[in-house]
Amino acid sequence: MNHILKSVRKDCDEVTASSIPLLYKLKGECIFITGGTGFMGTWLVEMVTFLNDVYSFNTRLILLSDRANNFSAKASHLAMRKDVELVERDVRNLIEIPEVVTYIIHAAANPDNRMHASDPLKTMDVISRGTDAVLNAAVRLPVLKKLLNISSGLIYGPQPPDFDSIAEDYRGGSDCGSVTSAYSEAKRFAETLCAAYRSQYKIAIVTARPFAFIGPYQLLDKPWAINNFIRDSLMGGPVRILGDGQTVRCYMYPSDMAFWLLRILIDGTPGLAYNVGSPHGVTLQQLAEKITGNFPIKPRIISRVAGESDLYRSKLVPDVTLAQKSLGLNLTVDIDEAIRRTLLWHRESGIKGI
Amino acid sequence: MPKILISDSTLRDGSHAVGHQLNSHQVAVYAAAAEAAGIPIVEVGHGNGLGASSLQLGESLISDNEMLISARKHLTNSKLGILIIPGFATINKDLSRAIEAGVDVVRVASHCTEADITERHITYARQKGKEVYGVLMMSHMAPKEMLVDEALKMELYGAEGVILMDSAGAYLPSDVTEKVSALVNKLRIPIGFHAHNNLGMAVANSIAAVEAGATILDGTVRGFGAGAGNAQLEVLVAVLEKMGYSTGIDLYKILDAADIAEKEMIKVIPSIKSESIVSGLSGVFSGFLKPVNRIAQKYGVDPRDIFFELGRRQVVAGQEDLIIEVAQELSHRRDIK
Repeated sequence: MNHILKSVRKDCDEVTASSIPLLYKLKGECIFITGGTGFMGTWLVEMVTFLNDVYSFNTRLILLSDRANNFSAKASHLAMRKDVELVERDVRNLIEIPEVVTYIIHAAANPDNRMHASDPLKTMDVISRGTDAVLNAAVRLPVLKKLLNISSGLIYGPQPPDFDSIAEDYRGGSDCGSVTSAYSEAKRFAETLCAAYRSQYKIAIVTARPFAFIGPYQLLDKPWAINNFIRDSLMGGPVRILGDGQTVRCYMYPSDMAFWLLRILIDGTPGLAYNVGSPHGVTLQQLAEKITGNFPIKPRIISRVAGESDLYRSKLVPDVTLAQKSLGLNLTVDIDEAIRRTLLWHRESGIKGI
Repeated sequence: MPKILISDSTLRDGSHAVGHQLNSHQVAVYAAAAEAAGIPIVEVGHGNGLGASSLQLGESLISDNEMLISARKHLTNSKLGILIIPGFATINKDLSRAIEAGVDVVRVASHCTEADITERHITYARQKGKEVYGVLMMSHMAPKEMLVDEALKMELYGAEGVILMDSAGAYLPSDVTEKVSALVNKLRIPIGFHAHNNLGMAVANSIAAVEAGATILDGTVRGFGAGAGNAQLEVLVAVLEKMGYSTGIDLYKILDAADIAEKEMIKVIPSIKSESIVSGLSGVFSGFLKPVNRIAQKYGVDPRDIFFELGRRQVVAGQEDLIIEVAQELSHRRDIK
């Protein structure tokens, strides 16, 4: 196992260190993960295979993905394992889920907003028909214990300026008449679809609403602030901030994400939705400072690159009180450490995405 | 004081005005003058952007690379910009080489309803750490709602601003206000405007854009550009200064730069010729002017008739081949009569 993979193992060890018993319910189970080879899926596989190897969980994974065959190129150490089975299929064409499955994590959807803009119809189709296909197959499973639907923090729409954070009971929303709402509105629909299946078929469904993440396995080609800051810093800078740098974002490290998702899957209350993300907001100016501070020769930071505009000022921070209080979930990796590890990963893996 | 980012298209749009025959010396001299004036962005290249040199659009005297290298040597504080239209410019052949030549600012343009084609180019330029803008050409051809949708795509692809181009010089100030306001209200990134002077409205339209919330303006000295030319940059800077906007450009030195450009490379200062008025009224790209005149002469038809017919067919940049078809048809109709 090479150095960077060892570091991922270490991340899994760290986040579960004192909490292994909280995951015992997964022992001997079979988890079916849609979108199983994506960023979220890969981290879930890292976490479960760690539990299998170190704590003999004997948990089986079946990963559904429309690009399953590419998984060995991305993570051959996971793709070739006996406890990991790959099924290549578009989630919309899913008919049956193996009867041995006891847990489902429905994570299939492309979070890349460039794809949402270029192909909003496919974006909505994958989420709406894909979720329906998964739920339709799930209701026929004889031993299913719970289904975790991965929704999105974007369903809340813009965070009101006077809110420090957004809690699960916030009833905002995006502009349903805008093509840019294709992803978030489809995710809202998927949540309602889950509620309908739960009501009519009495299956246990819990929802997670993920926010933003940064860490290994995330490519740097996405047009998101933190990805750009990291990529530009690795290339020697300058790092450019749009607007005045006062936009507030939050980032969770993916080992925390994977642990939170598994805990929500096991012990989350059916019918509830849980925010998943860091509750600690950081301005883009602070973020750029934190990232560039990791370099011996600090890359230059330029703000307001494209003229005066305060339009950039926005905030998106989750209130995670529900996950903290009801499931005892906390962050083990802070933003500074998340940045340090992410930079290390990209340096050692050859700056993927560039 | 509100700040306006000026992008100087003299060495790119001006290329149209001289049949893309700018030479290295002219590029170097003007780049040095622009640098001295403190112009933030100096755009360089073939009139239709990187990789567009061709028989039909006009072959450049010197290669894209030569132009960029000549300009780069003289730009320190001013940024070196390029325009690319996916299709003319490819990533491997053109964009990567331009970035190697030291380009700072990449503007990726598409027809106003086709922003989808800009994704890969915008992504690539962002990955290379460059400042990237999206450009919607011929923006008079689409309603504001459609422009908003297309501009939003560019924003999502990673563009750091979107520029509306009035490629045909067809706008009146009220049109500019309507469209720029719509974009300013719906996008998070800055909005820019690139004017043409077919109806004598280039500076007025640019000011209308700023008053509607645009923060990026394009111009060229002496209006050196396709057809009737662009917003005359030195006038624009003076007007903006008078109105209390800041551009960071030294007025005397931009006036000097305009004089230098006139002496060194502007054989004929753009004026609003009859065909340009027709181009503006018919909503056909100003860059069609020279080929339309040439082809009209060849087929013995009135260039104004060609323009109105092209306008009726809603032709866009890149469809220059249609000029011949239209000229042939008009000639044929005349012969039948």
